[in-house]
Amino acid sequence: MKTGILLVLFGLIAFSPFISLAGAQQAGEGAAQVTVSSVDLNPGVFFEGDTGIVMVEIINNGLESVAIRRATMYDADISILSSSYDTTTTVGAGNRMQFTFTIKADVPPGIYYPSFSLDFRDAGYLRYPVQIRVENDPIEISVLHKPDTYSAGRKEQIDIMVGNPRDNAVGSVIVHFRGTSLDPAPSSYFIGTLDPDKAQKISFNITPAEPTSLEIAADYKNGINPHSSMVTLPIVFGESKRQADPILSNILVEYENGKYTLTGDVTNAGLEVANSVVLSAGEGAEPVNPYREYVVGSLQPDDFSSFELTFLAENTSKVHMNVAYRDVDGNPYQRTTPVVIPPKNNAREDSPGIAPAMIAVILVSAAVIGGAIWYSWKKR
Amino acid sequence: MKGMLPYLLFRPDTFFSERMKEPEDLKIPGIIVVIGAIISAVTAYLMSGVYSGLFSAAAGEGMASMMGAFSALSAFFAFLILWWIIFAGIFYLLSMAFAGNGTFRRTLEFTGDGLVPVIIGLIISAIVSLYYIPLVEVPVISNIQDPAAVQRFMSDILTDPAFREFTRISAVISVIFLAWSANLWIFGIRHARNLTVRNAAIVVLIPVAIFAIYTLYTAFVGMPFLGGP
Repeated sequence: MKTGILLVLFGLIAFSPFISLAGAQQAGEGAAQVTVSSVDLNPGVFFEGDTGIVMVEIINNGLESVAIRRATMYDADISILSSSYDTTTTVGAGNRMQFTFTIKADVPPGIYYPSFSLDFRDAGYLRYPVQIRVENDPIEISVLHKPDTYSAGRKEQIDIMVGNPRDNAVGSVIVHFRGTSLDPAPSSYFIGTLDPDKAQKISFNITPAEPTSLEIAADYKNGINPHSSMVTLPIVFGESKRQADPILSNILVEYENGKYTLTGDVTNAGLEVANSVVLSAGEGAEPVNPYREYVVGSLQPDDFSSFELTFLAENTSKVHMNVAYRDVDGNPYQRTTPVVIPPKNNAREDSPGIAPAMIAVILVSAAVIGGAIWYSWKKR
Repeated sequence: MKGMLPYLLFRPDTFFSERMKEPEDLKIPGIIVVIGAIISAVTAYLMSGVYSGLFSAAAGEGMASMMGAFSALSAFFAFLILWWIIFAGIFYLLSMAFAGNGTFRRTLEFTGDGLVPVIIGLIISAIVSLYYIPLVEVPVISNIQDPAAVQRFMSDILTDPAFREFTRISAVISVIFLAWSANLWIFGIRHARNLTVRNAAIVVLIPVAIFAIYTLYTAFVGMPFLGGP
């Protein structure tokens, strides 16, 4: 009996290496069924210096559970900010498990492959290179339309295009319009997510009060990393090449009935319509009734209208005529034209001289009265 | 009166000596003065057309007509008071210096009679004004609230050649006929106040000369405060 028991124990001891080898072989086959099912990067493409998240998902395709001792990620260039998974855990048959790592791309643009490493408790390990792309292509701002020149108080429209040349979408895109005395409308424009190779057209207005610079800034996020693109437009004042240009011509000035009367034509020599055209006497002249001002109204390009103004002018040979008008946006403009006027005294020299009849009346009266007085003294 | 008018105008000494024999009566002189006042009022109304622009700017077209009527009324009473009452009063007071005696009523009566030449002069001036007033270029007043604009308006009127010429011709005519009236007044005051011809001439010619000089001065030199020439 004793001998039998000893033989069994001996046999177990003798065959134990084969039993453990077979178990190891069985565990190694289980680990081989664990694969990386997906890798998710946020952001999809990094800027240099961006911080992002790498999520690696594994799946156990085997029929047995697999024990995992450690999961980690490492690379010589990419910084791994988060810690390794050092707690032993088990992935059940057919189950999935996700591992998330925080990385920082403090590297020049390029393609990097940090390794995801999964150490099994019972058999070997799994290494999986994760592709990380680093690009520095920013959001592009293109100016589609802008005025040639600007004027104080005149509202101008500017059209821009915001495009995403990157291979990943960027989010929270907001376009800001900055500058002193510009009064932009809208003050900013929210785009949101801008997909790769897509663009968004934006129109906005500015009303500059003084020459300045307009900064168009597109703020956006690549993952959790804020970025900004900026374009600067100089706001230079000057005359628009297309703006309305009212010209006074055929001017005739006459002095009569105690006032100057100026008649003439106003012609729009510009390429844009002149609205609310009003003519008035300016410096050197004092408007009087009946034509203190003359409202022409709208003048199309190459169109003209006659006008008449009445005014007084003292001690001057030159007065200024003001032409006030507005563009299609209602921005006011004024143009001043000097006009030489004839001397008032010359105009009044046409007055009558002493009429001979009046002289005769005076002489006859004097003679009659002289005679009457002489007669009255003689005959008294 | 009708038959006595030549006597008044050409033989005033005889006319007034005859009138001294009659009781004092202001009816005829009153009629003469009222006629003169009416003519003066008509002339003033015609002249107000020159200033109608000022009145219109101040208070509208209706106001211009009203101001014309007001001018006529003012001229009417101004003639009554100035040419009759004041002149008679001055003659009466000055004649006191020469121990003149006689009632003020008689002085008033003869002063009124002596206004006939002045009235003739007024008629001629009114006719002359019908010729000149349409020639006056009435200026336009820009702002009635602006004293400078009103000053300029007045200046423009007073410097208007037609208006200036009318003013001067009218002044000369007035002075000529005033001289005729003065001649009548000399004899009238002589009898009314019982003065010598010399003293009566002094009494009459002093105020008349002052008035004539003033009239000619304002017509030819102007009134600076009105912006005259």
